[in-house]
Amino acid sequence: MSEKTKFVNHMVASISTWHGVQPPNEVALRMLGDLEKLIRDFEALRGTMRFEDEPASFEAALVEAASIGVRA
Amino acid sequence: MTAAGLDLADLSLVDAADAVRKGEVSAVSLLEACLANLDSHEAAVNATIWVDKEAAFTAARAADAKRAKGGPLGPLHGLPLAHKDMYYQAGRLSSCGSAIRRDFVPDYSATVIERLSAAGAYAFAGLNMAEFAQNGTGHNRHHGDCHNPWNLSYITGGSSSGSGAAVAARFTFAALGSDTGGSIRLPAAANGVSGIKPTQTRVSRYGVMPLSFSADNVGPLTRTARDCARIMSVIAGHDPRDPTSAEMPVPDYEAGLTGDLRGVRIGMPSTYFLDEVDVPVRAAIEASTSVLAGRGATIVPLTLSLMDAVATYAAAVSRVEGATIHAEWMRQRPQDFATHINARMFPGYAIPATYYVEALSRRGPILKEFAKEVFSQVDLLVTPTIRTCLPTLAATDIDNGPPGTEQVALGISTNTRPFNYLGLPSMSIPCGFDPNGLPIGLQISGRPFAEAAVLQAADAYQRDTDWHARRPAIAAV
Repeated sequence: MSEKTKFVNHMVASISTWHGVQPPNEVALRMLGDLEKLIRDFEALRGTMRFEDEPASFEAALVEAASIGVRA
Repeated sequence: MTAAGLDLADLSLVDAADAVRKGEVSAVSLLEACLANLDSHEAAVNATIWVDKEAAFTAARAADAKRAKGGPLGPLHGLPLAHKDMYYQAGRLSSCGSAIRRDFVPDYSATVIERLSAAGAYAFAGLNMAEFAQNGTGHNRHHGDCHNPWNLSYITGGSSSGSGAAVAARFTFAALGSDTGGSIRLPAAANGVSGIKPTQTRVSRYGVMPLSFSADNVGPLTRTARDCARIMSVIAGHDPRDPTSAEMPVPDYEAGLTGDLRGVRIGMPSTYFLDEVDVPVRAAIEASTSVLAGRGATIVPLTLSLMDAVATYAAAVSRVEGATIHAEWMRQRPQDFATHINARMFPGYAIPATYYVEALSRRGPILKEFAKEVFSQVDLLVTPTIRTCLPTLAATDIDNGPPGTEQVALGISTNTRPFNYLGLPSMSIPCGFDPNGLPIGLQISGRPFAEAAVLQAADAYQRDTDWHARRPAIAAV
């Protein structure tokens, strides 16, 4: 059994356990296998940023960012 | 078609609205022109899911009667519009492009529909779309694929497939789309029309089918940037029924369209957005920057350092939220989704909550960092809307294609999705044609709530080009 197949089987079992959703077709299994790339992408971001200590919201960030670089 | 041979449906939305206000054309004649095009070409394009001609003529006659009486008229008075079939209108079908909601009739209306109605417009059709707004190509297994009016074998882009195709085919003067990863800008690019995704929170989402709570946006597809400006002036602004909508003042977007870009700095990123770009697309974008420079803008090469994080987090957020919304149907009736829809949602259940929270928690800080990096140097960004020449329906048919087709189909939104994660306003306008005769889109993006600046640049570009005015010769079937 390939590493990819093991990964997919593990994820299918996890999804079934946590959500009660079954793989609807072969394409779904292929796309599930593509999550390996997402995992690598998240791994690559580890340690690059920190969480904010204080309460924040994306809506507030939008308002704050609206004035960045605006010239009089 | 008038006696003089002019197709009234060829008018821009603004020109059509102004002609009605002045009494130069009737609302009924505008509707007749749109329906004539629809009757001639809908069998080929398949842009609609339902059409209500009887109600449309009632509305058009009422608009003409109101004008005849005198009194104030709205900025869209007497205009026949059609929208992606996911904008709730009380008592009317809203299929969301699905089989599951094939018979869904809401008992209330979306705020944006009410605002368009208050401005004098009326909706006469529900437009084809990707099932539950979940693909970027325009395939639809339940209502039939939507076909590109420029070449019926090619994709329309999605998910607002019918919105892009119907505007290009002159079935309507404007259409609402929705944009979670590019679903307004992709069909705008693919069909050679103009479409804007506003800043996240700029336009109410009340009464609009949700896909991703964090990334969904409402916006128009039209013939011109000025048309988009007029629609935006009508639909933007806080809505008490959508507590996520911003309480920011709404400018008069049309008033800002001066054509003058002196002092405007426009960045052209050399990283990410041009990776593996097709040669004709790159050439069209570079030619576009010359046009913008000719209007006074300064073009600034940019290197972006945050795109890996933006792309990664954007992918996680939309997948998880889409999977969550559809979880009950995925458990109970997964066979009622098309293969490419349930297959796309399925991996969303495997993404851990910690990844999702990480992606959302970092969204604000990344936006602020992105803004400091980019908007301290420039006012706007220009990029290709789609990196490649437009693919065919067959080449992106996940349900029937070989393994790997999904990568081609999902890759369509590589350049649009980052702006959904960042929440920035972003617009696509036509800027040329590829060697196959399919349109190429120029994506213009700006600071949060800077729709006016985006529209100003788009309008300035369209004053010196005619890509937006070209009309497809639709093949008969």
